[in-house]
Amino acid sequence: MVHEEAMEMSAPFFKFGMFGDSFSLLLAFLIGIGFGFALERAGFGSARKLMGQFYLTDLAVFKVMFTAIITAMLGVFYLGWIGFLDVSLVYLTPTYLLPQIIGGLILGIGFVIGGYCPGTACVAVSTARIDAISFLAGVIAGIFLFGEAFPLLEKFYNATPMGQVTLPGLLHVPYGLAVFVIVLIAVAGFAGATWVEKAMSGRKGA
Amino acid sequence: MNTDANLSGIENVPAREKAETASGPKPYSNPYVAGFGLGLVLLSAFVIMGRGLGASGAFSSLIAAGVNAVAPQHAAGNRFYAEYLGGGNQSPLLDWLVFEVIGVFAGGLISGALAGRIAKSIERGPSISKKWRIIFAFIGGALMGIGAKLARGCTSGQALTGGAMLNVGSWAFMMMVFAGAYASAWFMRRQWK
Amino acid sequence: MGGEGNVRQKGSVAVMMLNVKKMGRNAKLGLLVCLLGLIAAFAGNPYKGTRVTIDTAELAGIVQREVDHVNPVDLADWIVKGLTDYRLIDLRSEAEYDQYHIPSAENAPLATLPDYGLGHNEKIVLYSEGGIHSAQAWFLLKALGYKSVYMLRGGLDDWKDLVLFPALPQNATSEQLAAFAKMTEISKHFGGTPRSEATMKAGDTTMPLPKLQAPASPAAPQAAPKKKKEGC
Repeated sequence: MVHEEAMEMSAPFFKFGMFGDSFSLLLAFLIGIGFGFALERAGFGSARKLMGQFYLTDLAVFKVMFTAIITAMLGVFYLGWIGFLDVSLVYLTPTYLLPQIIGGLILGIGFVIGGYCPGTACVAVSTARIDAISFLAGVIAGIFLFGEAFPLLEKFYNATPMGQVTLPGLLHVPYGLAVFVIVLIAVAGFAGATWVEKAMSGRKGA
Repeated sequence: MNTDANLSGIENVPAREKAETASGPKPYSNPYVAGFGLGLVLLSAFVIMGRGLGASGAFSSLIAAGVNAVAPQHAAGNRFYAEYLGGGNQSPLLDWLVFEVIGVFAGGLISGALAGRIAKSIERGPSISKKWRIIFAFIGGALMGIGAKLARGCTSGQALTGGAMLNVGSWAFMMMVFAGAYASAWFMRRQWK
Repeated sequence: MGGEGNVRQKGSVAVMMLNVKKMGRNAKLGLLVCLLGLIAAFAGNPYKGTRVTIDTAELAGIVQREVDHVNPVDLADWIVKGLTDYRLIDLRSEAEYDQYHIPSAENAPLATLPDYGLGHNEKIVLYSEGGIHSAQAWFLLKALGYKSVYMLRGGLDDWKDLVLFPALPQNATSEQLAAFAKMTEISKHFGGTPRSEATMKAGDTTMPLPKLQAPASPAAPQAAPKKKKEGC
């Protein structure tokens, strides 16, 4: 009776009831394998490679991250546009602006001190990096500390809630336009990164 | 196999790749190719599950489970742990992210094994001792844990997933991560350079 | 060394930009990606659900054949049998729900339906006082892509008339007597009272509604979406 414009939505598969919780855990494992594999391929199991980003010698972190972002972003856009993926069913973490800003700062500092982020540390542990084990122990300690201190932190934790909001939603621009701008920024960034890497290695060589 | 001697400081990509193509570990993939692959994995999570990737959440579940095992009353009364314990009728470890992270370990192992990049070592620059590297790794990890909880995610969950979904909080978070990292880089240069 | 190299670099970048054929592989991919982004800019919105077309002939057919209706008697049967393969949604206000609701029903006012947590493949049965709100909700859910949505025919009004307080018409046939006997049992199960013609007054709507025992909707809290953590 009611016709969608192009085709019937069937994705996200889980939310259309195609399989249950147990199977989703198996899929989690498989998707995780893909995730870990890609990270290691990129060399992110090495803290030194990761840190190259912040000393401007090797900007792979930026390249990998933004390539991944625009790939998935374009994929979501077009699969939603043709009506295959119901984008409104893809989970969007609610925004709590201030704690996310402060959390990001702290995370960035921890990134350079620790040398990894949680995901890459797992990959590093798999490739026998001992410092990554220490890092993960630290992560566990940090989360435990946070949990114990939560009653004190709770108010800040829940400050400045903005709900589930996207950039195009916030700025009142068409979604596709935001996608385009981000793609441009990413590609410009890639060109810039190549230039920076060449400049830095040139400087070192001379 | 001890590769501690291989202290080239921050990975100088061209030099390393030239040195190691002949024998030993294979060079890393082209970052754009790896990024594309990562993007496809992320997209598959969106399409299959309607959610993105993550890492820190699995550790939160682990801790919540641990606290619950040792002191269930305390865990139940704490709203942070309670969120991960759910209704109480099923283990918090039977969680999507926990299984995903186990997969990450496995995927890293497979890729590392295929490329000959599994090497017991401590990643560090030439100017820092092993002891201090381990200490800094722990401290950095702790800060990461706190930051990730405040921000409701780490680089995998917020920056990658939220970035692809154009989530406002995620983009703000991502920019602050780069800002914080670049700001601290100079102070930590001894560790890496 | 640096200065000369810079000039050479800038010049070659300019040349590269003008000559697509000579572009490196990376640059070509970058251009492709920008093109995809450009198309996206004009394509509009990946969020569906804002535009749907309705086949009015098909709609008329569905309404006439009443394929998406569920009889109160059938529903009563499912409840007595303890079937749990459906979700029963009461669209009225919380106060009305608390006063009485069909056992196993969950309360979800119409406005909250999209976010309520209903699975797209679940069997959903809607009811309100009569049929108006359930029809509106039916429309809403169908438009949002839910596959199995049904309305309780006659809503709560018919539930009361046919299940809670079934009536035996005068000069009943043996079939009607048998049906009434069955309904009597079912009605008692729900705490209702069958009526005979003698006690029935025209338009009597003051029959007291059965009080719901505390575990009146054991299915509801379980079925109510256990907030699965989807963050990271």
